[in-house]
Amino acid sequence: MKKILAMVLVLVMVLSLTAVTAAADGIAKENIKLGVILLHDENSTYDLNFMNGAREAIAALGMDESQLQFYRNQPESSACAETALDAVDEGCNIVFFDSYGHQFYTDDVVAAHPEVQFVHATGDLAHVKSFANLANAFATIYEGRYLAGVAAGMKLNEMKAAGKLKGDVPMIGYVGAYTYAEVVSGYTSFYLGAKSVCPDVIMKVQFTGSWYHEKWEKEAAEALIAAGADLISQHADSMGAPTACENAGVPNVCYNISTKDACPDTYLVYSRINWEPYFEYLIGQVIAGEPVDKDWVGNMPTNSVIVTDLNEAVAAEGTQAAIDAAKAELIDGTRKVFDLEADNYITVGGEKVTTYMFEKDTDFQKEAVYDGYFHESEKGFRSAPYFDLQIDGIELLNTYFEAREE
Amino acid sequence: MPEPSPEPRLISEDYDCGGNTVEKKLALQMRGITKRFGSVLANDHVDLEVYQGEILAILGENGCGKTTLMNMIAGIYFPDEGQILIDGKEVVIRSPKDAFDHKIGMVHQHFKLVDLFTAAENVVLGTKSDGKYNLRAVNAEVNQIADRYGFRLDPAKKIYDMSVSEKQTVEIIKVLYRGADILILDEPTAVLTPQEITRLFDVLRRMRTDGKSIIIITHKLNEVMEVSDRVAILRRGQHIATVKTAETNESDLTTMMVGRRIDLNIHRSKPVNAVPRLIVEKLNLYNEEGIHVLKDITFTANGGEILGIAGIAGSGQRELLESISGLQPVASGKITFNNPKKDRPVSFFHKSMKQVRALADQGAFHDRNMNDVNFRGMRSKAVRKMVKDGDVLFREDEVMNLRDKDPLEIRRLGIHLSFVPEDRLGMGLVGSMNITDNMMLRSYRKGPAGFLNRKKPKAQAEQIIRELEIVTPGVGTPVRRLSGGNVQKVLVGREIAYMPKVLMAAYPVRGLDIGSSYTIYNLLNRQKENGVAVIYVGEDLDVLLELCDRIMVMNGGAVTGIVDARTTTKEEIGLLMVKTDERKEAGDA
Amino acid sequence: MSKANENGVREPLIHLSKRDSIHPGKAWAIRLIAVALGLVVCGLVAFLLIERLQQKPERIGDFYYAFIKGAFGTSRKFWKFLKNVSILLCISLALTPAFRMRFWNIGGEGQTLIGVLACIGVDFYWGDKLPEPLLLVLMFLAALTAGALWGTIPAICKAKWGTNETLFTLMMNYVATFLVSFFLMIWVTSGSGVLPQMKTGKLPTLGGNNYLLIILIVLALTIAMYVYLKYSKHGYEISVVGESVRTAQYVGINEKKVIIRTMILSGALCGLAGYLIGAGLDLSVSADSVGGQGFTAIMVSWLGKFNPLAMILTSGLIQVLNQGAAQISQDFDVPGALPNVIVGIILFFIIGSEFFINYQVHFRKAKETVK
Repeated sequence: MKKILAMVLVLVMVLSLTAVTAAADGIAKENIKLGVILLHDENSTYDLNFMNGAREAIAALGMDESQLQFYRNQPESSACAETALDAVDEGCNIVFFDSYGHQFYTDDVVAAHPEVQFVHATGDLAHVKSFANLANAFATIYEGRYLAGVAAGMKLNEMKAAGKLKGDVPMIGYVGAYTYAEVVSGYTSFYLGAKSVCPDVIMKVQFTGSWYHEKWEKEAAEALIAAGADLISQHADSMGAPTACENAGVPNVCYNISTKDACPDTYLVYSRINWEPYFEYLIGQVIAGEPVDKDWVGNMPTNSVIVTDLNEAVAAEGTQAAIDAAKAELIDGTRKVFDLEADNYITVGGEKVTTYMFEKDTDFQKEAVYDGYFHESEKGFRSAPYFDLQIDGIELLNTYFEAREE
Repeated sequence: MPEPSPEPRLISEDYDCGGNTVEKKLALQMRGITKRFGSVLANDHVDLEVYQGEILAILGENGCGKTTLMNMIAGIYFPDEGQILIDGKEVVIRSPKDAFDHKIGMVHQHFKLVDLFTAAENVVLGTKSDGKYNLRAVNAEVNQIADRYGFRLDPAKKIYDMSVSEKQTVEIIKVLYRGADILILDEPTAVLTPQEITRLFDVLRRMRTDGKSIIIITHKLNEVMEVSDRVAILRRGQHIATVKTAETNESDLTTMMVGRRIDLNIHRSKPVNAVPRLIVEKLNLYNEEGIHVLKDITFTANGGEILGIAGIAGSGQRELLESISGLQPVASGKITFNNPKKDRPVSFFHKSMKQVRALADQGAFHDRNMNDVNFRGMRSKAVRKMVKDGDVLFREDEVMNLRDKDPLEIRRLGIHLSFVPEDRLGMGLVGSMNITDNMMLRSYRKGPAGFLNRKKPKAQAEQIIRELEIVTPGVGTPVRRLSGGNVQKVLVGREIAYMPKVLMAAYPVRGLDIGSSYTIYNLLNRQKENGVAVIYVGEDLDVLLELCDRIMVMNGGAVTGIVDARTTTKEEIGLLMVKTDERKEAGDA
Repeated sequence: MSKANENGVREPLIHLSKRDSIHPGKAWAIRLIAVALGLVVCGLVAFLLIERLQQKPERIGDFYYAFIKGAFGTSRKFWKFLKNVSILLCISLALTPAFRMRFWNIGGEGQTLIGVLACIGVDFYWGDKLPEPLLLVLMFLAALTAGALWGTIPAICKAKWGTNETLFTLMMNYVATFLVSFFLMIWVTSGSGVLPQMKTGKLPTLGGNNYLLIILIVLALTIAMYVYLKYSKHGYEISVVGESVRTAQYVGINEKKVIIRTMILSGALCGLAGYLIGAGLDLSVSADSVGGQGFTAIMVSWLGKFNPLAMILTSGLIQVLNQGAAQISQDFDVPGALPNVIVGIILFFIIGSEFFINYQVHFRKAKETVK
């Protein structure tokens, strides 16, 4: 109790002395308090991924666990703003929101507390708004998806050679949440990764209309399998699709978590965003009094994008080598996921793509296609994905997802 | 389990039965039995003895603790204090099964039979644990029991095909089959016709001869005098006395039962100016299941007269009253209300200004010089004055159709029709509401829109409490908390306060103590003297004969006769209660 | 009197009897004892389940203090508490007339949600075209109408065809959720399924406080509902219909009309709660806008015995427990489900205490000598 009181006193003193220039002068490491506002709790793999990242960063920086405070089950409503204010009251000088929808409710809070750094992970509004203390963060997870797609493509080639395909051409089934750019960017890059090794692959996408719904995700995967999918991947957070795959013996590529233990016969590989580097960066900037990047994008060199835990029992021979090779090329820039010049790669309506207007009809509109590729989540644009083209080879089974009760 | 005590105590007693002195063995003894329900003391240190081969009547008003006391012997309740001894040994009776083990059986007021089973199946139900019954043997045994005591029963008949009296027979045989030596009958005559009562009493006497102990709970004095050997009188949970029937009389019993001497005569006046008020013609009604429950009912209820309706329960009495009051949609027939108003002054008592104006427009009124009255262009104030002065008179009697009108429409016609339904708390009153709120059930719509005015209903409630001597902590007490008699007084009081032209009352004294019953009879009589057409549905034929002017008897939804109450007999009514018109039955089928 | 006499005869160990009435003081004493017992059991459960408490048992004080801290720890939390109580109470008040009529409206969630949807819909389509006051009025009317519609459909079906209102109102909740998802799909072009906050149609603040207006509206509604139920003719009819439909028919109350009228009111007031959420707080709508309060409100209403004034207390109690649960989750770093178990235990004890208020338990008395 005394310790906290002392901390608060110090904090108050620091703040009052350096009111406006607090950020510029930085905050002592032991005075940092990180509040993480979570949509759900550790039962959701999405939130657990953030919780793990924050915990690891705190440990890596040698901070005390009391300097990290989780606020669980905060809905995307005005309630999350109230909680943010509580967090500020309780001495948090960094408030981190983990869900996209939180960003719509926090303007007043951000404006009222310039001394506090606010971050909306996966958000897409920090560059639009004029708050110095508001940032967004994301990672080039599309590259991770691409590499996972390479593994999938290798597997499909192997199945094709063994005559185990259900149809004439290899088919990927994809369980998506919403027809949202983050999802579109994700499945497209996954598809492109597969296509880079297995040129005749096609993909079908089934949306659930929910970010987390085990039953619907399972049903969607089952529907895709019934429709002839040879391999399944998903952009959804539950065990629904992996379970359906394990039951049906269909290879599955995961997101956010490895299901190697639960699904030993079908789990192939998984990709995820590692948030630890970002938390470390964020806290470091605040300690140093340096501004936090408004649109921070983690990538493979920052160790923010992870493709790992390949299941050798399921994967085709040489998969790891293929992943490593592609990874090296992506890192050194010789390979682009959204390469628009390559033949038989990205077409929309049979035509190659030559132009894409980022955030068109806004003050931030900007050409995203130059140098022969689509610039996804890059500097000068924004961190949250915006690639939402419907490319050839991918069929959406339900463009408008069926609205269902959560 | 109780250890066998060395020797059953043999108690000898001078016992007068049929002029002989006999020795009787004590069968059951209760010592200091006490039972509380919350703050209510239902039984207060009751001592009671029952001998073998006797009929003991337990007499007391409703709510005096008779049934509670017997329920403790039958294992339904457990006494808070006291001992029960059987054959001189203390026993503990925790459940009806314990009671049966001690050869005690009770026939409850509400039968507990499975409708779809036969008599024999019901009798044998629950007696064996291995689940196998030899029904043929059971049938034989049932027949044997029936023969022995003079019951009439077909063991293979299904319960749903049975009359109330047959069902009662099944209940009694059920108890005997289980070997009961002590039989408790809770108000067994309430549902029977006079002939059936006579038969039941014969059966009971045969059982007595057979050495059984019979305890009969009742509040009817004539039955006590007729059948019992001894009478135990309870009052407010206390055992007042046990006397030999032969040594007492009705008046003494009443005094012991009520605690004071009361007049048991109903003062019936001659009808004055009896004019037709309510005319029902060829009324037919089918219930929700499509069963023909009222068949061509035709009768007239006169103002200034009490018309009794007799019949076995469920013969269509309830449906008839509900049809008249607009609660049941009838299939055919006429219900007309006759208001003898020819050449009599109009008043605002039963009519609104709007209704009066509308009637004037139809030429329904004349003035003292027999000229048409026309209010057109007149201010309401002037109209009001004219009516108040008695210058507006009806040209004809008012004849109004009540059929196909709901209670509100009947009320809006200005017809004051009061109805005291059988189901007091489920229909007549709202149990959770206090007396004031119940007072305004019919009148709450009066007054300014939107909000309730509790002033008048409260005054009315206070008046009724005072006049009918209702025992209640106050006008704010929920009526559910009141005793049966007081509940009924609230209901009847409200219906009378409505200043009815027709007053219908279904079993208004059921469950009431003697004092309250006579209060109700007198209230009905006073209404009759005021010119109200009173329709009284009753079950006690003695009362019907004393109270009513005419008695209409119903059976199976049809009227089997309308008799003059002053000249008829119980036996005649009893026969009408079971009479069926073969020709009509055939026509219906 | 003999209890276990020489014959070894025993009376039952426990038997129950219904109390006729109970002194209010005694009833409250029983409730308080129940809460105290509930808290003790909670503490034990907490020790079993919360790791940080096992490590530092001395923090048990913090555990209990969390229930106070959660709702009253700071003035901000207190205002939040008052606001949350107001919204919950508003929905509970809406359900109460239906409950008093024994119409088991468990569709408060959907009726409120459709109210949010309707008012945000008006804001979405006309927010930039209409002057703010007119917009707010239109949003208000839309919310009330939508809520009323949602409440009335099951009422009409019950009145006309005798459908089961419990199932029907429950199903209407799902329909409302579907509709929200459907409109979000149309309104949110990015496909994220999250509707950004509206710029218009915000209820004005009173004295610089975002919540004061909501609190005052609900306070006024509480008093109005109390008066309506107790002193109005409608309220009287509701009580009669609730107690016995036959009694209602007997005195010429058209019970179907009363059912429909009351459900219009009940639904409309849920719509009002939706308006307070939509225009007063969120300025957006999602399937989670009501967040289960439509179901919690059922408990508030029951615990308050359908008395609007008592419901101020019961909604306050539930909210203290909810905010306390969140505080425990925060302070002890445990998933949200765990504190909810603890809230469940306390509620179990509180609801269970009603049994002991209605019934008296008799234990076999110690052996006494026979007279």
